[in-house]
Amino acid sequence: MSAPKSSTDANSAFVTVRDLKKTFDVSKPWLERTIERAPKQFLKAVDGVTFDIKKGETFALVGESGSGKSTVARMVVGLLPVTGGEVMVDGISMTTTVDSAAREKLRRRIQMIFQDPYASLNPRWRVQDIIAEPIRAFNLLSSPKDITDRVGELLTLVGLSPLDGVKFPHQFSGGQRQRVAIARALASNAEFIVCDEPTSALDVSVQAQILNLMRDLQDKMGLTYLFISHNLAVVRHMATSIGVMYLGRLTEVSQAKEMFRNPRHPYTRMLLDAVPDLGMSGRARTPVQGEIPSPINPPSGCTFHPRCPLVNDRCRAEAPVPIHGVACHAVEEGRTGTMAVRKSA
Amino acid sequence: MAAPKPTLRQRLNDSDLWLAFKDSPIAVAAAITTVLIFVLAFFAPVFAPQDAFNPAALNLMDGFSHPMERGAGSNMLFLLGSDAQGRDMLSALFYGTRVSLIVGLCSVGFSMVLGISLGLVAGYVGGRVEQLIMRIADIQLSFPGLLIALLIFGVARGLIPPNKHETTALFVIIFAIGLAHWAQYARTVRASAMVERNKDYVQAARLIGIKGLPIMAKHILPNVMGPVLVIATINLALAVIEEATLSFFGVGMPVTQPSLGTLIRFGQQYLMSGEWWILLFPALTIVILGLAINLLGDWLRDAMNPKLR
Amino acid sequence: MTQPVLSVRNLKVEFVTRRGTLRAIDDVSFDIAPGEVLGVVGESGAGKSLTGTAIIGLIDPPGRIAGGEILLQGKRIDNLDKESLRKIRGKRIGMIFQDPLTSLNPLFKISEQLVETIQTHSSMNASQARQRAIDLLIEVGIPAPEKRIDGYPHEFSGGMRQRVVIALALAAEPELIIADEPTTALDVSVQAQIITLLKKLCRERGTAVMLVTHDMGVIAETADRVAVMYAGRIAEIGPVREVVQHARHPYAKGLMGAIPTLEATASRLVQIPGSMPRLTAIPRGCAFNPRCSEVFARCHVERPEPMTVGKSEVACWLYDTKKEAAA
Repeated sequence: MSAPKSSTDANSAFVTVRDLKKTFDVSKPWLERTIERAPKQFLKAVDGVTFDIKKGETFALVGESGSGKSTVARMVVGLLPVTGGEVMVDGISMTTTVDSAAREKLRRRIQMIFQDPYASLNPRWRVQDIIAEPIRAFNLLSSPKDITDRVGELLTLVGLSPLDGVKFPHQFSGGQRQRVAIARALASNAEFIVCDEPTSALDVSVQAQILNLMRDLQDKMGLTYLFISHNLAVVRHMATSIGVMYLGRLTEVSQAKEMFRNPRHPYTRMLLDAVPDLGMSGRARTPVQGEIPSPINPPSGCTFHPRCPLVNDRCRAEAPVPIHGVACHAVEEGRTGTMAVRKSA
Repeated sequence: MAAPKPTLRQRLNDSDLWLAFKDSPIAVAAAITTVLIFVLAFFAPVFAPQDAFNPAALNLMDGFSHPMERGAGSNMLFLLGSDAQGRDMLSALFYGTRVSLIVGLCSVGFSMVLGISLGLVAGYVGGRVEQLIMRIADIQLSFPGLLIALLIFGVARGLIPPNKHETTALFVIIFAIGLAHWAQYARTVRASAMVERNKDYVQAARLIGIKGLPIMAKHILPNVMGPVLVIATINLALAVIEEATLSFFGVGMPVTQPSLGTLIRFGQQYLMSGEWWILLFPALTIVILGLAINLLGDWLRDAMNPKLR
Repeated sequence: MTQPVLSVRNLKVEFVTRRGTLRAIDDVSFDIAPGEVLGVVGESGAGKSLTGTAIIGLIDPPGRIAGGEILLQGKRIDNLDKESLRKIRGKRIGMIFQDPLTSLNPLFKISEQLVETIQTHSSMNASQARQRAIDLLIEVGIPAPEKRIDGYPHEFSGGMRQRVVIALALAAEPELIIADEPTTALDVSVQAQIITLLKKLCRERGTAVMLVTHDMGVIAETADRVAVMYAGRIAEIGPVREVVQHARHPYAKGLMGAIPTLEATASRLVQIPGSMPRLTAIPRGCAFNPRCSEVFARCHVERPEPMTVGKSEVACWLYDTKKEAAA
């Protein structure tokens, strides 16, 4: 199994996401709206998200619930139409390309792993049919024997036995099901895999197995991952670079190591502080303030300002634009020192 | 290479439904009764002592034999008695039940196919298509099924030339009863399909470019069949009774192909003159059949509902 | 030594099913001292939530307590009738569940629910109880409680609702609080707030807490002692620092290594092969033996009972000193 040739070299981006936007119409039904004279209501789930992923690397999107990270994932794979912006994979636009044959080809190379392995496998299908579905859909192999062999190969690859193919999903544990889901994602020789909270429904010991497996597969096959998670420790373990999302926007994008060593955006610091201290290192922590506001009526200016320790009038009025990966007026103006003082105090 | 598929026996022993079935004497009794009636009805020519609806096989001298009496003409033993033409009631029952069951099964099959298809489309596609289908279903559900069947039956009668009435009766009644019941399936299937549509396994199939129709047929359909089978079982009993009602009113099966309902219609003429058996046995059969299927359906519904387990 | 608030002795819980009797909790014993937070961790199916449910007497048929004793302040409560148990719940044992909506009635105002709870367990009149309710809301950190107390549960955010549930659990001044995954449904940033709050309140009041969770981080932050459960039994129980940093049981050790942390530098996580056995197929001997890297012959045959190792108790044959001495 050789990875198909790519037109991109190692340094340029394999996946490019530019100014991605998604607006949902959350208005009440027409009749109710007319009677109450209420205007239409829109929810900006994703509001101008831009990032690149290099081939063979892992880009992680972190954020709390309602940050829009899963919406980004679904737009990137094409399950959800975009409201604006562009997604390009290997130089081919997923969003604007009219050539359906080219898009169809691209589809084979992009796959997804879902959060809940209990819902992502059809309970009435045998595992071998689940894994063979992409092979059949893309006409990769035709003879039944070849397909059976390939399914067995894939099952072995993810640490299951080829004999497991005849079983139904309910005969497996959560971790084993997620292995089946990974095998299905690899069945079409995908190169880019979007993982939407792939381990958050699993127990820790099983999570470790799945994370290790995903890293091994990445090393072996040169896979590119978009990894969605709310768990910073998991992200730290998996990601090459990280984007932090808050209310549909990216607040900070940087290299993983850099982000954990030197978090710049106040929200990133807050998230890092909230991670329970398992090492019991006695690391200094500031208690986190408040909760995420409703995305239907987001705060003015920088949406993080009601919870931010560094807020000033400019933050309330003007939305920051990313500078060197950080969208924060305080960072731009060099006002972050106050926070560091507070931390050590 | 693949391991041998588990045998049916292994799969049975592994299934909760089978275990629950073995534990329920009512379900077992109802199932045995149902199977017995089905076998006797469908193999009527084998089991019936007499070819009951072949005039050549009847002996008028045997007319009005009492149950357990030997006929005056042929000296044949009439276990359940005979009617005015010397027709063996037991044989008539076998043949009549066969017609009733054919009508019941076919009309349930017809309404299932129609209801499931429309329900799947409504639940998966959504939007205006769903609105249209479900409003029609709502309208239909607000009328009694029997009334709709009568209406359809009447319209069909008007459209078909009178000399074809007898030969087309079976199809017309299947069509009428079937069309009166699709809405229930459509509603159930739509509700389940709407849930399944948003599950990730459907998203995974969309991701590899599987189109709507195959997704509905191969992915969603198998997952919505549980409740449909329960409704189908209960509706089978309902369809049999409905057919009997229509035939009793004289708008159902013709005399040449009598169903249980037709037999009852005949029988009631003789009730007052003392030939009670002609009415009683077909009526009893319908009660037993209806009860057995209904109990089976009820049990199936409870067994498949995890909350009641 | 002071008497423990809660004492669980050899608890067994069984489920009678068509396929036979399944033992979901098998010989579990532990104490919780006044003011102490005992963390109970384990993966799904380990029986940790069921232990909590058994203590408050809410196990539904076909489940039943099949053996052992549960003592609250030295008095048995596992054999009480339903009515007496109902009085103990809420009054002497407070409960906090994962989903705050299951503890709050959506049809009643927060004030009504709090006042009702306070009045059932004390002789306060309505206005006193209302004042007490407001005080409680202040204590759990709800801003503008005088205004918000007359709101309905749906008007509160997830974190605020969980605060209300904590206030409700504290309302009757219980001796013991059983918190079952109290932060699992919440966002990371809110999670930290709730943990800090719970810990602070219990310290101040001397309430004993049984904190059931799958999240080792929460335990490390909150608990004084921790019990690691596996397949219905306690694998290791001891002071939280001991267990987190020097776990002895191979399962506990593996579990700690499997958790990705911010500090870790290793590129691979420690992984325990396989997964927890189903109740229908618990292995003979030590239930962990098929997944254990240090398994030896005895583990397949004999079931290890908890033995004292340092400050902890560990159910593992590796630590059986008696056997070694004899050999």
